[in-house]
Amino acid sequence: MDEVEARKTIVATLEGKKGKSKFYLKDFYAMFPEEKPRTIKNIVNKMVGEGTLEYWSSGSTTLIGLKGVGKQAGAEHED
Amino acid sequence: MAFISSGYDPNEPMKNRITDIGPRHYEDFYPPVIAKNKGKWLYHEILEPGVLVHVAESGDEVYTVRVGGARLMSVTHIREICDIADKYCGGHVRWTTRNNIEFMVDSKDKVAPLKADLASRKFDGGSFKFPIGGTGAGITNIVHTQGWIHCHTPATDASGPVKACMDELFADFQSMRMPAQVRVSLACCLNMCGAVHCSDIAILGYHRKPPMLDHEYLDKMCEIPLAIAACPTAAIKPAKVEINGQKLNTVSINNSRCMFCGNCYTMCPALPLADKEGDGIVIMAGGKVSNRISAPKFSKVVVAFLPNEPPRWPSTTDTIKKIVEAYAAGANKYERLGEWAERIGWERFFERCDLPFTHHLIDDFRDPAYFTWRQTTQFKF
Amino acid sequence: MAKHETPMLDQLESGPWPSFVSDIKQEIAHRKANPNNVELQIPAEVPEDILGVLELSFKHGRTHWKHGGIVGVFGYGGGVIGRYCDQPEMFPGVAHFHTIRVNQPAGKFYSTEFLRKLCDLWEFRGSGITNMHGSTGDIVFLGTHTKQLEEIFFELTHNLNQDLGGSGSNLRTPSDCIGQARCEYACYDTQALCHALTNEYQDELHRPAFPYKFKFKFDGCPNCCVASIARADMSFVGTWRDDIKIDQEAVKAYIGGEIAPNAGAHSGRDWGPFDIQKEVIGLCPTGCMWMEGDKLMIDNRECTRCMHCINVMPRALRIGDDRGLSILVGAKAPILDGAQMGSLLVPFIKAEDPYDEIKEVIEKVWDWWMEEGKNRERLGELIKRQGFQRLLEMTEIEPTPQHVKEPRSNPYIFWKEEEVEGGWQRDVNKFREDHKR
Repeated sequence: MDEVEARKTIVATLEGKKGKSKFYLKDFYAMFPEEKPRTIKNIVNKMVGEGTLEYWSSGSTTLIGLKGVGKQAGAEHED
Repeated sequence: MAFISSGYDPNEPMKNRITDIGPRHYEDFYPPVIAKNKGKWLYHEILEPGVLVHVAESGDEVYTVRVGGARLMSVTHIREICDIADKYCGGHVRWTTRNNIEFMVDSKDKVAPLKADLASRKFDGGSFKFPIGGTGAGITNIVHTQGWIHCHTPATDASGPVKACMDELFADFQSMRMPAQVRVSLACCLNMCGAVHCSDIAILGYHRKPPMLDHEYLDKMCEIPLAIAACPTAAIKPAKVEINGQKLNTVSINNSRCMFCGNCYTMCPALPLADKEGDGIVIMAGGKVSNRISAPKFSKVVVAFLPNEPPRWPSTTDTIKKIVEAYAAGANKYERLGEWAERIGWERFFERCDLPFTHHLIDDFRDPAYFTWRQTTQFKF
Repeated sequence: MAKHETPMLDQLESGPWPSFVSDIKQEIAHRKANPNNVELQIPAEVPEDILGVLELSFKHGRTHWKHGGIVGVFGYGGGVIGRYCDQPEMFPGVAHFHTIRVNQPAGKFYSTEFLRKLCDLWEFRGSGITNMHGSTGDIVFLGTHTKQLEEIFFELTHNLNQDLGGSGSNLRTPSDCIGQARCEYACYDTQALCHALTNEYQDELHRPAFPYKFKFKFDGCPNCCVASIARADMSFVGTWRDDIKIDQEAVKAYIGGEIAPNAGAHSGRDWGPFDIQKEVIGLCPTGCMWMEGDKLMIDNRECTRCMHCINVMPRALRIGDDRGLSILVGAKAPILDGAQMGSLLVPFIKAEDPYDEIKEVIEKVWDWWMEEGKNRERLGELIKRQGFQRLLEMTEIEPTPQHVKEPRSNPYIFWKEEEVEGGWQRDVNKFREDHKR
C-alpha cells in the first residue's frame, strides 16, 4: 500500500467528519478494508509521531484525532 | 522556583529522545541471597505472623519481615523504607502484589533487631508506619483503587475506607486465627480498575443516580456522538432543547437503562453523576482466585447498598466485621469464605452473618441471572 | 498553620493502620522545610492542596477531579492519565495534576539506590505522592503539572534507564508474582517471562494497537497470587505434568506433629493435632491420594494440581520436574456483560527463552482480536460473541476435553456445510421422485 496516499486518505476522511473529532482505531481500519489492521495501526501511530494526529485517552481506551481539533482541545487553558 | 530543563527541547521533541526501553531489569535489584538461590528454594515456613523463612537447596536461608503499607505513599515515607533497607537489608526491599513491603535478611540473628525497629516507628498521628503481619490464615492488606484522591468517576473514596477497615481488622492482620486467608479488596466504581470481583470480601463503590444533563453547556463541552457511543447500554440519544429561546443540541438519557457506570461522564464532562446520597458501597463476598481445592470463584453481592459515611464508614466496617466473625466461627480449617458459604448454603450465610436478604440481591442482569436462581427442591429452612 | 482545615481527614490519623493522612502531612512538612534546597518545579504546597481537595470530597461525598484526555508524552498513547481539579481557584497547586505510570520491575524488587533516585525525581518535578503500586502493578506518580510530563519522561529514560507503563487501548503493564525468586511452588521463571514479553511488545505497550485494554499476568503456580486467572486477558499460570515429588520421611514428620502444617499459616488458633486423612487426603478434590501403611501415595495421573496438598505439606511434597505453564484467556471484571474468569486455551506449554511458542499464541490471538474485536470489546467478550471454537480455529489449537468443564447440554450445533457429507446443495426434484408433493 502507498503510505503517502494512505495518509492523505486518513486526513481527508477525518476532516470530512462533522461534529466528531476523535476516533477508534477500528474507524481507521474501516478506511482500508483490504489492509491488515496492524499495517494501519502502524501508519496511524507514525502520524501521531509526526504531529499530524494526536491521542486522546480516557485512561481505559484510546481515541485518535487530528491534532488540536475538537471541543476539549485546550479546554483547560493550561498552556 | 525557576524552571529547570531536563534537557528536553519542546521545539524538537524527537531530539535525543529515548523510547521503548521498558522497565529496569529485575536482576539489577535482587538481594544476593535471592540471586544465588533463585529457582532452588526447598520450602518455607511462617515463623510468626509477618515473618517467613525460605530455605534453599544450598542451605541458605532468607528471612522476610512483611509489613503493611498504605499504597498511597509519600517519597518521605519511601526514603524511610530505604533507610531501613540500607541499615538491615543491604539496600534491597520489595513490594508484594497486595501493597505490603518485604524486608529480607539472610540470617536469623538479623530478624529481631529489624522487627524491633519496624515495630517502633510511628507517624506523628499515632498510627504504625510498618505494622508486621499479613501472612498465612489472616487478613492481609486491602488492594484498592484511587477513589476521591485522584479519580474522576469514583462512587466512594478508596484510601479512607481502607484505612477505616484495616483499623477494625488490624488484630487479624497481625494474627493467623482464620480458617484460611481472607482477601479484602476495594474498587471505587463498577469499572473495577482493581479487579475485586474474585475477593473473599469486596468493597465496591456504586452510583445510583443517572447523570445530570448540563444542557446549556453540553454541546459546547462535548462531542455528542462520543457521549452516545460511550454508553454500554445504549441509553443515550441525541436530543434538542430550547433554553432562553435558543435551540440547543444535547442528549437525552433513558434513565431506566442506566447502569451508573460513568463512562459517558468520562467522554462528556457535562454529564456528571456523582451524588452524596446516591453514591455508596456494595459489599460482595465469597470470591477467590486460587485453584486450591475448588475452582476460582466470583464474589457475590451480599449487601446491595451502604451509604458513604466519611471519615470512617462505620456501616461498611461493621458489616465486614460481622462477615469475618461469622466465617471465623463457622468455617472448617482451609475453607475459604466462599467455600464455607457454599457448604452451609447461602440461606444460612445470611442468617449466620446477620445480613438481611433483599430483592436487589437476586440477579436480573442478562442471561447468567437464570443460573443463579434455585432449580432444586433442596434448600434449608 | 495548615493551608486547609481537614477535620474529617484528621480523624483518619488515629488507629493502628498506617495513616495516609499522617504520611501526606509529613510530606507537607518536608516540602515546607525543604532541607535539601530542592528547586521544586511544582509548588511546595501541592500536597496540602491534595489533602484539601480530599477533605472537600469527604464533606461533599463526591469527587472533585475531572478527566483530561490529551495530555501525555509525545508519541506515547499510554502512561499518563490526565486529571484536572474542578475547584482550581481553591486548590491552584493541583489545578492540572496528571498521573504518570512508571513500569515497575518484574517481581517488585528494588535497590534503595534506584528508589531514592525515583524519589528525588518525584520530589523535584512532582507532588512527592505515589502509589506503591497501582492496581495493574505500575509505580504510580500521583500528580504533576502538564509542563513537567516531558521533563520527567526525559529524566526517567536518560538518567534512570526507565520507561513508562501502559494505559488506554494498549498492552497494559504486565505483572507477575514473586516466582522462583523466593517461592518453591513456582513452575517457571515469572520474572523472566514478564520482562521478556514486556520488552518484546514495547510498541503495543506505548501505542494503541487494540480495540481495548489487554493485560498479561504471570502466576508461577495455580495458587494465583497475582490473580491472573481473574483479571488478565491472557493469564500464564505455572503447572507441571509429571509426578508430585514425595519425601516420605517428611510426611511422617507432619503426621507426627514435628512440622506445622501449611507452613505454620494456622498457628493463631488451636485446630487440634494434624490429621492427614482429614486435612489432606479427604480434601483432595480428585480423591487421588491414600495411605499405604505410613506411606503417602498419589495417583498422579488423576491429580489436577490444585496445590492443596503441597500447600499443607511443603516440606514433604514438591511440584514435579516437567514444568511449564497453562495459558488461560479472556478474564475481565464485570463491566459490561458480567465478569469472566480466564478460560483454558493452552493446557501446557514450555516456558523457555526465547519463548517463541508462547509469542506465537499471543500474536495469533491479537491478530484475531484486532481484526474482529469491536470498539471497547475485551478479548473475553469476543470469545463469547464468536465462540470458543472460533478462538481454537484462529489459534490453530486442536480441541480437547481439557478445554471444557463439560460438553454442551444442547444439541444445537451449527454444522458447517463442509462438515456434512454431500454438502447442502440438493436436487428437490430428485427428492420428489420418492416423496410425492
